[in-house]
Amino acid sequence: MKNLILLSLLLAGLAATPLAQAHHSFAAEFDSTKPIKVTGVVTKLEWQNPHIWYFIDVKNADGTVTNWAFSGSSPIQLMRRGITKKVLAPGTVITVEGFRAKDGSNNGGGSKVTFEDGRSVFTTVADDPNAKN
Amino acid sequence: MMKVQIVLLIAVVLVGSLAAQTPGKTHKTAEGKPDFTGIYEWAKSTGDKCSCSATIFDKKSIGPLKAGGEPFFEKPTGDPRHDEPRDFCMPAGFPSGMLAAYAVQIFQSKTYFVLVHEFQRMTRIVPLDGRKHREDIEPSFYGDPIGHFEGDNLVIETTNFKRWTLDDHFYDNPNESRMHSDALRTIEHFRWKDPNTIAYTLTIDDPKIFAAPWSQEFSMKARPDWEANGIMEYECQENNRCAGGKCQGN
Repeated sequence: MKNLILLSLLLAGLAATPLAQAHHSFAAEFDSTKPIKVTGVVTKLEWQNPHIWYFIDVKNADGTVTNWAFSGSSPIQLMRRGITKKVLAPGTVITVEGFRAKDGSNNGGGSKVTFEDGRSVFTTVADDPNAKN
Repeated sequence: MMKVQIVLLIAVVLVGSLAAQTPGKTHKTAEGKPDFTGIYEWAKSTGDKCSCSATIFDKKSIGPLKAGGEPFFEKPTGDPRHDEPRDFCMPAGFPSGMLAAYAVQIFQSKTYFVLVHEFQRMTRIVPLDGRKHREDIEPSFYGDPIGHFEGDNLVIETTNFKRWTLDDHFYDNPNESRMHSDALRTIEHFRWKDPNTIAYTLTIDDPKIFAAPWSQEFSMKARPDWEANGIMEYECQENNRCAGGKCQGN
């Protein structure tokens, strides 16, 4: 319940222009002119430094399934904003908004994650409009 | 009259008790020096609406370049180890790592001021015993610091750096890195701005690159509520999917 309250405090605004991260360069890896929005089921979560990675199976229009991998901030930064690994547990249905990898692979910089009940979090804290502290 | 005296006595005790409980109410060592022991939020640039890019110096603070000096900007060479050293979990170094948006824990004794930054577990051990900078040691990513007190200020001077990235500007613009030279000397001032906030000033004095020293002001908010869990471990190579200059999950 506490997690739900914390999550509900995170506003569902539009993803801001990605700002600096502390490990790798977003601008070098991902294309901010190529936003992506996919919905699928979390198949794997790597909740480790230097960045979390979450993988989702997305059903394509032709019925095939593509597995997408999205990177986010470090577990520490997310934890300090009340986001724990429970929110991205395998089996969770999520909609991810982010930006595609420049090389066209099934990778992206994950930003806003929306859950089936309409709540949302930002897995890249620099994109969180509430990250003003 | 007796009732008034009792009420006053209770009030004095309550105020004293509250003062003792209020985080950061007293910040002095037994010798009367400012004491910065505690856990803090990262250094945030004062005056900014959002500290999300705290790892990058404010363009308005950066002083003019020295004519004919060493390059401040470095272009990518195509070698990811040069262009994106952080992808290989190379150190952020100082001052860059100091600004990273992670917790900071300070331990202070009579002899040492030790700052442990949650990002990369950067640890700076600053002697306070009046010794001079070490001689004949190799330049390093974090330099050679020494500290002393000037009234309410702890002043730390650091020298003997390798040429390295000054900040994380290349995350905003991967076409260039901002550098400091091996002549960099930094001066930091720590002082208590209020019982819960450190005022932190960082001065960059790099005569090979800049025409004159320049400074930026930051604040560091005390977080006694983080004491229970302490600072977290950050092992960069644990799941580094960006080694080689490409970040991939699939």
